[in-house]
Amino acid sequence: MGAFIDFFRGPWHIAVYTYREGIRKKTLIGFLILSLLVIFGASFISSYLDPTSETDIDLKLIKDICVATISIFGVLITIFISASVVPGEIENKVIYTILSKPVRRIQYLLGKFLGAQLIIIVNLVLMGFLFCAALYMRQQVFPSLLLWSLLLTYFEFLIISAFTFAVSCASTSAVVPTIIGLFIYITGNLTEFLKDVQNRAGQSGKWFDDMIGWVANALYQMLPNLQNFSLKTQIINGQPNDPPTDVLIPNLMAYGTLYAIFGFLLAWVIFWRKEV
Amino acid sequence: MSIAIQTSKLTKVYEGSFRAQDVHALKELDLIINQGEIYGYLGPNGSGKTTTIKMMLGLLFPTSGTIEILGNPNVGSASVKRNIGYLPEGAYYPDFLKGEEILEYYGKLYGLGGKDLRHRMAETLELVGMTHARKRLLRGYSKGMRQRIGLAQALISDPAILILDEPTTGLDPIARKEIRDILANLRDKGKTLLISSHELLEVELICDRVGILFEGVLQAQGTLDELLVQRDVTVDVDDLDDATAAKLAERGLQVEDRVGTRAKLRVASAITAYEALELCRAFNLKLIGVAPRRETLEELFVRVVGAAQSTRRQ
Repeated sequence: MGAFIDFFRGPWHIAVYTYREGIRKKTLIGFLILSLLVIFGASFISSYLDPTSETDIDLKLIKDICVATISIFGVLITIFISASVVPGEIENKVIYTILSKPVRRIQYLLGKFLGAQLIIIVNLVLMGFLFCAALYMRQQVFPSLLLWSLLLTYFEFLIISAFTFAVSCASTSAVVPTIIGLFIYITGNLTEFLKDVQNRAGQSGKWFDDMIGWVANALYQMLPNLQNFSLKTQIINGQPNDPPTDVLIPNLMAYGTLYAIFGFLLAWVIFWRKEV
Repeated sequence: MSIAIQTSKLTKVYEGSFRAQDVHALKELDLIINQGEIYGYLGPNGSGKTTTIKMMLGLLFPTSGTIEILGNPNVGSASVKRNIGYLPEGAYYPDFLKGEEILEYYGKLYGLGGKDLRHRMAETLELVGMTHARKRLLRGYSKGMRQRIGLAQALISDPAILILDEPTTGLDPIARKEIRDILANLRDKGKTLLISSHELLEVELICDRVGILFEGVLQAQGTLDELLVQRDVTVDVDDLDDATAAKLAERGLQVEDRVGTRAKLRVASAITAYEALELCRAFNLKLIGVAPRRETLEELFVRVVGAAQSTRRQ
């Protein structure tokens, strides 16, 4: 037990340091402020101007804007922070002072990854809290559905974060991992479309057509289906305190965790003999 | 004397990607650094100094050859790194932390905590002369103060071996002197110091032994007494005028560092010190002093690297 605690002590210190450093990054602060402004603007200002004239459609629009804001700015923050925590330390040479201490490479990676997760969670909580408060003030009902949605959104971000982090371990700058992170986010939300492409491909019998089908199928099999994590339709159309339907939350959490573990192991395989 | 660091036939080749050539950064390096000494590791840019240091720390991996730190070949393992403190060149320390928070962070990475950590922090801050600034944010630190806090993070676990990459580069003369004094103090406490530096004067003032690396090959290694050649003699005189200076030059006494009527005369190898003194008396010069003149480390460096360059050209 002592060895187990000792193993995680180093990563925890690195995670706290990463968090403290990360929350001061100007880009991240900019994303957060923008997202909070959009949520605040959409949910508070319209009702302040003329609260009596608000219709169900207005409310749906506001919910749509807020859910989209959390999703878009949340994923930007996730990708930005996951892509930069390791290359940033290589660039400013801090990594030398850490890896020259009695810290194993896997402990270092674990610390950086946990630190990135702390940042993502805090940002998600801040955005979610503002949205929750706005919904509660409008409908006087505790928006439990939104909390479930935030939980699932975090697991979606966890997957994106883990793979972006893995790519960042092979890179010396944050540019390539950021692009790959965006690719994972976009294609992860289009996996149903990939399935459709695979079904339609191969009908002409040409090799190029077959190849497209093969690539679409490979991507469909490999990439996580991030659409599974979305409760957007239910949030917009349902009541704030409805239980989540059509999703098995424990299964999705396990699905997200497994993908994240795979992403982290990939990061470790890349990093354990990396020359820094 | 026990050996702190030993490399044996240490070789590092950076493989070129695509059509780029491989770079042979180190070629069968045999280096011995004894415990309790300050070893100056010198060489021009790109000679392989930082590569050697990074391999000692497990940041890079040797292509072939071995490294032993305090007799342990498991370089990069936690047990070896526990005995090493490292100050990289130009490392960044986050501005938002206070001096003592930096030390706390690095101390925790060594597994220190509680009373032990607080004691080490106080001791280390005192050693590097930063106790007064421990509560200040790093953004308010001067370059010299940042370097000292960098040194403090390397010292926080009280390691037996300190590896310092350019510890005095970019510092003003007073800060350099202060860092030099700290390093000498550490040597006196029995620590082993490996200093990689371009500041040859600093190295000459503080190091017990030096090694000169050029293109991955150790060109010379030894104590300064062993390496620096006894060159000639200088005679300090007064009452020197231009005409006398010219006559002395004809007889093998070169005038150096002349200020007014005072000058330093370098005695060429063709004449003896006695003959030089006779000449001074003959020209009615006032004798101030006679001193043997040893080659400087800079001259040694230029000589060794120059010889290596000319060998390569051939």
